[in-house]
Amino acid sequence: MPSSQRVSRCARLFCATLVLTAAAAAHAATDAKRILDRVDDLYRGDSAHGKMTMKVTTEHWSRELELEFWSKGTDKSLVRILAPLKEKGTTTLRVAENIWNYLPKTNRTIKVPSSMMGGSWMGSHFTNDDLVKESRMTSDYTFVVSFEGEREDRQVIELSLTPKPEAVVVWGKVVVEVEDKTVLPLRTRYFDEDLREVRVMTFSDTRTLGGRTLPTRLRIVPTDKPNEATEVIYDEIAYNVPLDDHTFSQQNLQR
Amino acid sequence: MNALRIGWRNLMRNRRRTGITALAVALTTAICIDTMAIMGGVRQQMVDAGTRLFVGDVQAHAPGFRADRSIYRALVDPARLLAAAQALGIDAAPRSYGFGLVSHGIKSAGASFIGVEPAAERRGFDLPKEVFLGTYLADVPAGSVVIGRKLAKSLAVEVGDDLVAVVQAADGSLGNELFSVVGILKIVGEELDRGAVLLHHADFERLFVSDGRIHEIALRAHTRTPAGVVAALLPAAGAAVLETWRELNPSLSDMDRLIDASVYVFVVIFLLAGSIGVTNTMLMATHDRVREFGVVKALGATPWRILRDVTLEGFVLGLSATALGTIVGLAGGAYLQEVGIDLSGLMEGTMTFSGVVWNPILIGVVRPSDVLATIACMWVACILASLYPAVKVARLNPVTAMTDV
Repeated sequence: MPSSQRVSRCARLFCATLVLTAAAAAHAATDAKRILDRVDDLYRGDSAHGKMTMKVTTEHWSRELELEFWSKGTDKSLVRILAPLKEKGTTTLRVAENIWNYLPKTNRTIKVPSSMMGGSWMGSHFTNDDLVKESRMTSDYTFVVSFEGEREDRQVIELSLTPKPEAVVVWGKVVVEVEDKTVLPLRTRYFDEDLREVRVMTFSDTRTLGGRTLPTRLRIVPTDKPNEATEVIYDEIAYNVPLDDHTFSQQNLQR
Repeated sequence: MNALRIGWRNLMRNRRRTGITALAVALTTAICIDTMAIMGGVRQQMVDAGTRLFVGDVQAHAPGFRADRSIYRALVDPARLLAAAQALGIDAAPRSYGFGLVSHGIKSAGASFIGVEPAAERRGFDLPKEVFLGTYLADVPAGSVVIGRKLAKSLAVEVGDDLVAVVQAADGSLGNELFSVVGILKIVGEELDRGAVLLHHADFERLFVSDGRIHEIALRAHTRTPAGVVAALLPAAGAAVLETWRELNPSLSDMDRLIDASVYVFVVIFLLAGSIGVTNTMLMATHDRVREFGVVKALGATPWRILRDVTLEGFVLGLSATALGTIVGLAGGAYLQEVGIDLSGLMEGTMTFSGVVWNPILIGVVRPSDVLATIACMWVACILASLYPAVKVARLNPVTAMTDV
């Protein structure tokens, strides 16, 4: 082959490789974004109404609560305790960054002050802050695929998320592990600003609820106290039910 | 004793000079005694304010409680410690601690709940007397609370109002009770002002489902030192940790020691000032008598003897001057102890330092050890001050001295 032809052939090959790599990268990035968006939206809808059981185990006690919940959009939610009897009727209302608790025993509604937002919600390993945060993984974090392959007999994709500088999130890093085929979350690990693991949320018991197939058992284990855990099991969920804003008012709290 | 009389007689040879120097030394002594009294009073007041109100002289906790204040870290056998304290005549107050939220109307705040035994608190501590509005807790439980001044302000709460308490109970459930505010405390210290909600231990039990847990026993000694209290109660303490107020409030302890040390610095400065006067006087006195010393040396007096006589003269001066100074100083000290110096005109409102509220009237505290130390130091200062003139004269050549003009 004459040299000029060889050169142009090389050049074409080189350009093709470039384009293909770019396309592959773009495809991977879109894939990662798609995965994270799906995980974010899994338990959300325009509105939702359902029942769940929450089991909390700590060093000194363990309890089981039955809860009914309503949510609308990303900033309104209402959770009511149905059992046990001592707390029946206790309701938490969240609108934007504010949380109110209604206590039937004393018939009072109290607003949770911002100083207590880091405190635990209903004694669980969730914080008041967890209820309020509406971070969207794709908009608040930069992400990379940190692992793709087999782990514990499953094909998984692992994404490592680092918060963007302007994002208002409490974590220093989040690692999301999803199953390759179903794109359902398996495990999420949360790290503080010093990149020390603080807690791990595992997802299991995939079932179909309200028309969606998703993991119905969420378990949070604090890393520094591995014998403690909070487990949330979704019993029923109905999505996109009609809910008006009055449901999420302080007046409705005391119903 | 002759040497002393001779020394005295020599001093009297120039009454005016001796008198002025003696007055200076006396004044220095009196000032030292009274400064130490005032600073002693300041220290005492500071320590009292930090301990008599609520903390006490000694406290007992389960190991590790002070670090995390967990409701589960309670004293294992508080009854035993309480009984031992009672047998020894030491006032003891058992307390339970828990954390949670209080709310009134639309306002809410984090609160530190303290379950107390009102009778024990009244007996051993001053906090029950520091009620600004309303009353302290009654001896029987009545669903009442007494809260800190700043907490009352941030919740906009008045005596008679209701307060909702929401807490994480010890059994994991949501503790939730309504209480009536019967008293609001005066400004007593940052921690209590901002977050304290005092309640009867039975009400605490109801709110926290705490199963009778007691986290702290505060002890007030009347005749023993804090260290003495610890030693006396150690056999009954078991695994509990007994700590004195110095360990519980290290910054207060450091402040106390700092003031004590700085007073000694002052005293040294005063003593130096006083002794310079003595040196000057003795120099003049010996200078006048150079011919005398010459004669005495010619007659066989050893340098050592001359040194001794001159130093003794200085000592006698110091002796009489400190006697006068001590009388004046003690008189001043008595006034400071009984009446004190009223500085309230200089202060607006209350002043808080290191979490402790200051009484604007300075009361003095005269410690015998302080007085004796001052006197002894003054004597030593006078002796040392006379050494230089004494040495000068002891080394004189008799012949040149005798013929000195």
